[in-house]
Amino acid sequence: MIARRQFNLLTAAAFGALSFAAPGLAADPVTIGAVEILTGPNNKYGLAIKNGFDLALEEVNKAGGVLGAPLSIAYEDTAGNKDQAINAVRNLIGTKNVPLILGPTLSNEMFAAGPVANQRKIPIVGTSTTANGITAIGPYVFRTSLPEADVVPVTLKTARDKLGVKKVAVMYGNDDAFTKSGYDVMKAALEKLGIETVATETFGGKDTDFSAQLTKIKALNPDAIVVSALVEAGSGILLAKKALGFPAKVRVIGGNGLNAPKIGEIAGDAADGTIVGSPWFIGKPDPANQRFVTTYKAKYGADPDQFAAQAYDTLFIVADAIKAAGAADPEKIKDALGKVKRTGVLGSFAFTADRDPADTTGVVVIEMKDGRFGLLP
Amino acid sequence: MLVQQLLNGLLSGAVYALFALGFTLMFGVLGVINLTYGFYFSTGAFVALYATQYLHMPIFVALPFAAVITGIVAVIIDDLLLGPLRRAKAPELSSLMVTLGATLLLYSLMTACFTTDIRRFPPAVFNGGAFEIEGLRITLSQILIVVTVAIIVGGLAYLLQRTKLGLAIRAIAENGDAAQLMGVNAGGIVRIVSFISGALGGAAGVLIGLNYNAIQPYMGEMMMLKGFAVIILGGLGDIRGAVLAGFLLGILETLTAGYVASSIKDAVGFLLLVLTLWFRPVGLFGRVVAKRA
Amino acid sequence: MMHTLDNFLFTYQSLIYALGVNSLLALSMYVVLAVGQLSLGQAAFMGVGAYSSALLTLKFGVPFPVALVVAAAAPSLLAFVIGAPTLRLSGVYLAIATIGLGEVLRIFFLNWDYAGGALGLNGIPELAGFIWIFGALTIALAGFVAICRSRVGRAMEAIRADEAAAGVMGVNLPAYKLGALVVSAAIAGVAGAFNAHVSSFIGPNEYGFDAAVTILSFALLGGIGSPFGPVIGALVLTALPEALRPLHDYRLVINGLIIVCVVIYLPGGLLPWRISRIGARK
Repeated sequence: MIARRQFNLLTAAAFGALSFAAPGLAADPVTIGAVEILTGPNNKYGLAIKNGFDLALEEVNKAGGVLGAPLSIAYEDTAGNKDQAINAVRNLIGTKNVPLILGPTLSNEMFAAGPVANQRKIPIVGTSTTANGITAIGPYVFRTSLPEADVVPVTLKTARDKLGVKKVAVMYGNDDAFTKSGYDVMKAALEKLGIETVATETFGGKDTDFSAQLTKIKALNPDAIVVSALVEAGSGILLAKKALGFPAKVRVIGGNGLNAPKIGEIAGDAADGTIVGSPWFIGKPDPANQRFVTTYKAKYGADPDQFAAQAYDTLFIVADAIKAAGAADPEKIKDALGKVKRTGVLGSFAFTADRDPADTTGVVVIEMKDGRFGLLP
Repeated sequence: MLVQQLLNGLLSGAVYALFALGFTLMFGVLGVINLTYGFYFSTGAFVALYATQYLHMPIFVALPFAAVITGIVAVIIDDLLLGPLRRAKAPELSSLMVTLGATLLLYSLMTACFTTDIRRFPPAVFNGGAFEIEGLRITLSQILIVVTVAIIVGGLAYLLQRTKLGLAIRAIAENGDAAQLMGVNAGGIVRIVSFISGALGGAAGVLIGLNYNAIQPYMGEMMMLKGFAVIILGGLGDIRGAVLAGFLLGILETLTAGYVASSIKDAVGFLLLVLTLWFRPVGLFGRVVAKRA
Repeated sequence: MMHTLDNFLFTYQSLIYALGVNSLLALSMYVVLAVGQLSLGQAAFMGVGAYSSALLTLKFGVPFPVALVVAAAAPSLLAFVIGAPTLRLSGVYLAIATIGLGEVLRIFFLNWDYAGGALGLNGIPELAGFIWIFGALTIALAGFVAICRSRVGRAMEAIRADEAAAGVMGVNLPAYKLGALVVSAAIAGVAGAFNAHVSSFIGPNEYGFDAAVTILSFALLGGIGSPFGPVIGALVLTALPEALRPLHDYRLVINGLIIVCVVIYLPGGLLPWRISRIGARK
């Protein structure tokens, strides 16, 4: 306790631990860390994740917490900045002595902060990091989010088999690690599936004018355009595609970046027909998912997205691991994580030997229609 | 395809030209690189967005409305930031630095208010229809941009060359102190030019927001970087140069993306910028003698 | 107690390194401002230093000191190329050209797959440390104090005060300005190399416009009357947001505000020391 008071002095303002101690659980809470983007331009991802964690945390604690004590999460903000992510991880390990860290939000941040946790042998669990090579950082780095490499092939195979897509043009944002690694996955999957690529075009994530690339693509007459982009550029591409008068049968096939209801909001009917693969879908009919969607809406007044869903599942996985470990000990938790088996709102879950999600059967392909995503018939 | 690409280039050039007009006017008359100009661009787009969304203004009212509001904002910002420096006759780099700091401040505050989520005008505001002639496609918003650029260039040329006010503005641009001695109200002219530039920036923001449907606080910053290339290429302070350089950049970028590689499209502007500085610092058209140190 | 100290150092290790690296960057900005010029390419110079050294150590196993020399030389060369034509013109041209340089370099690194493209470089060996960073900072500071008290320093001050007059008095203006820019690029490059070799990951989007402006705010906060000013500015602006987390959200607002206020109201910086006073105290 004395030690903690000293640390409080050192990081007085930084101390932002939230605890949801349920009545009847008197013991000191078991505190794990979470490093997410809570402020700045990309905070929509981090806040959705935090909502997912908090919702699950409430349920875990209602059900008796872990190790006879409530579970609590100490949040640290990264603002999307890798240096801040490193500082946050160092702070959680060095002064708060957390046995496990959730996050960070972006793959880039994980590449910077993951090695720090790994070096100190503290397990770190990404819930939204989908780039290649994340878990290769080291034996203490886990992720619960399906990497793009698992989702994109499903989408493209569905497009080939159900929609008869044989030749495509590819467009990707080349100034962003997320969209670039999405492209690498797409390229590999297209080759493997024997889909012909007639053109590969790039753009910047902040570009607004895509007419030059799309005019070129239109002349090549592809069956579909495969796009690795975030919402902003993705919507711009959909709008420009409509303005240039592409035939309606030429769909956009997106990566995880386009898996956002926002593209329907921005691009309107230009977004119709867009298909993406997703590890989760709000309309998945199973009762666990429907209960999650209802309680999330009741608590936050908004629909959950996949980031919230992944975070929600992850917290249960982590709580299971802590229970199985029998102590808030990083090494034991790390070993226990590898053995967790659980069925959550994303479907059944276990880690592979390489600490990636083992089960990809939960992937669904969804289609944009009248501004909303629905399951592809 | 080449013709469609040239048309694409012309349209994106019109956008650059529209943006660069107010920017270069500010430099030409006031003698400062005002980096807050990009902020006016974002401001115009947001004012028009809110005017159409909440005040239900039709776009043809919201456009001038946003231009006027942005013009007023520009005058206030100029008075607060550059007024003191002008009175102290501070070196030109000071004004560059002040506007640099102010840009950072203003964008961050704007982001705090509006977040960086992109928004768009309600689809009902403007008919996004397109014409197709002989396989060439052009949308209504693109036509609106081209027409606006033409009107503004013509209007500015008339104002500067044919009116008394224009004479006073040119006198200030030529030599502020001398003009003041001749009885030109320098403070008044500075405000008028700030207003015009701000209004131009704001109007550009509205039109470009309308065309690309991607309104967010930092939209001005992205445009700004290209804007530098355009005004240097055209010659600092040279209005006709800025317009021509805008079109040139638009067409070169489009052709690069269409026929070379889209990944180097964004480098075109900056390469032109560096080449201009090396070989022809007065700008392509050399109408203004670059100020030597 | 040892354990507590250990944890403390672990927690603040990155911050301590950042203090040193940012101080070096502030010094690099100072050299340019000291001759009355404005460069917005400091972040780009830093990026070139970071990339060139990281590629050498990561892909070729070159010893760190050698990589450090390259990290200083490569941006210097760029500074020469960009400075030679623009420094003949008025100050705004250098400012704009260096902004353009930053963008061109960003696009270059994005398209250079060998250097990881948008994914950046991962797993850079942790070769720089406390001794390297603060050793370099001490040497740079000592060097600048010596320069300030020499003829060169007085000439630089004369240029800053009144360029035309300094020229008339026989100061070789182009040589001084170009020299300052080249030295500044070298320092920024070294800072970049340190940064790369303590944080294990670098990416092409870290050296953009925002970073350049942040570096400028370090120098302006501390004032450019003496080389200590920018260093103190960097220390304050690096440590403060860590100590007061809520300030993080408003970091850019604060940096912007500092620049505006200092230029309008306090042209000497918040700490308007003169080097002569420091000399007198010694």
